[in-house]
Amino acid sequence: MSGEAEARLWLGRIRALPPGPPVAIMNVCGGHERSLSMLGLRALLPEGVRIIPGPGCPVCVCPEEDLADAIALAMAGGVTLVAFGDMLRVPINAPKGEVASLAAARAAGADVRPIAAPQDAVAIARAAPSRPVVFFVAGFETTTAPVAAMLAEGVPDNLSVLLSARLTWPAVAMLLAEEDNALDALVAPGHVATVMGAEEWRFVAERHGLPVAVAGFSAESLLAAIYSVLRQKREGRAFLDNCYPELVRPEGNPTARRLLDEVMEVTDAAWRGIGVIPRSGFALRGDWRAHDARARHVIAAPPRRRAGEMPPGCDCASVVLGRRQPDQCRLYGRACTPRHPVGPCMVSDEGACHIWWQAGVRAH
Amino acid sequence: MCLGIPMQVVAIDGFNAVCEAQGVRRAVSLFMLGAGEVAPGDHVMVHVGYALRKMTEGEARSAWELLAVLGEAAP
Repeated sequence: MSGEAEARLWLGRIRALPPGPPVAIMNVCGGHERSLSMLGLRALLPEGVRIIPGPGCPVCVCPEEDLADAIALAMAGGVTLVAFGDMLRVPINAPKGEVASLAAARAAGADVRPIAAPQDAVAIARAAPSRPVVFFVAGFETTTAPVAAMLAEGVPDNLSVLLSARLTWPAVAMLLAEEDNALDALVAPGHVATVMGAEEWRFVAERHGLPVAVAGFSAESLLAAIYSVLRQKREGRAFLDNCYPELVRPEGNPTARRLLDEVMEVTDAAWRGIGVIPRSGFALRGDWRAHDARARHVIAAPPRRRAGEMPPGCDCASVVLGRRQPDQCRLYGRACTPRHPVGPCMVSDEGACHIWWQAGVRAH
Repeated sequence: MCLGIPMQVVAIDGFNAVCEAQGVRRAVSLFMLGAGEVAPGDHVMVHVGYALRKMTEGEARSAWELLAVLGEAAP
């Protein structure tokens, strides 16, 4: 059966479900949000079925302190700072006239380079062995595992890592633990589960009694997952379903998980605009700490006013937590557009604001 | 950032592979896969230069069709 025919089949099944009270389903993956928005899937669902974009954008939750550290390191000179392209335009709150992003640091003469893969960082470090290279890493497990692999495989001495990596599920656990949360079901992220395993999401059903389904990125996989959780909800059941079995195994990718365990440990970590979430971040473990940029460099970032702040008027933190839709932010489409982004959710390809704008959603 | 791209393995040297998608070739690390798990001609899901998992040709093709619809960037 073609993908399109399969998508139609799942949609038919969704529409054939008996009607019931409104259902709010959260997704926690920028890739899912992109497919849902760009393929126009929301408009096809029955009335009362809402799909809410949740914490699925690692760039959006990278704390200001870490960005400020990266900018300060780059501006101090004497190092090459490399980062995934998305990170360069993310703005921080800085007094007028001061450098407020890595892109601005680069424009001011700092050696800041966008890269697409950890191997690029290794190649840049090898090409200039006497120059310190700092790899600033924001990302979820899909990105952190390759960085762990890069370190385990062996990197040049002059390469260090400024880590701002996060786990996906603890933010969901935090949201579900809140008594007034309005969530009825979860669509779990397909490529995070490819690495970490579907089993990681079982807590949603077992601890919180909510339906959960791992989805891929095609219309048919997303609609299959939406059907699964809707049907579970209508039948008063809650279990873990895997609607992306082509890539996702219950245990994930064992090699990737072993590398992550060897190189990284899990720590409490700050999420921008949200605060500290217990055991939600990665830090280098044991001997690998020799490659921690914070251990090698004195970082003279100006003190921040408080942890996790967003630019004035920016609702990005509420958008990340699914408490506000992108177009409910006062700045959306007015002061804040992809061309002139105010907050990180409009900068990143995975930010809900950026995706909704690209899909044609305009300010009210 | 968490959206992988399917690619076909062209050549393998240890853990380093050359993979191709839509006529574009890239260096891809096989360090996160089991030894001998993939061979030239196989398809893999690649994220930030690392193969996350082997996939079938059919899965790779349907993933590419999706990326084309979404207008995602080249690998």
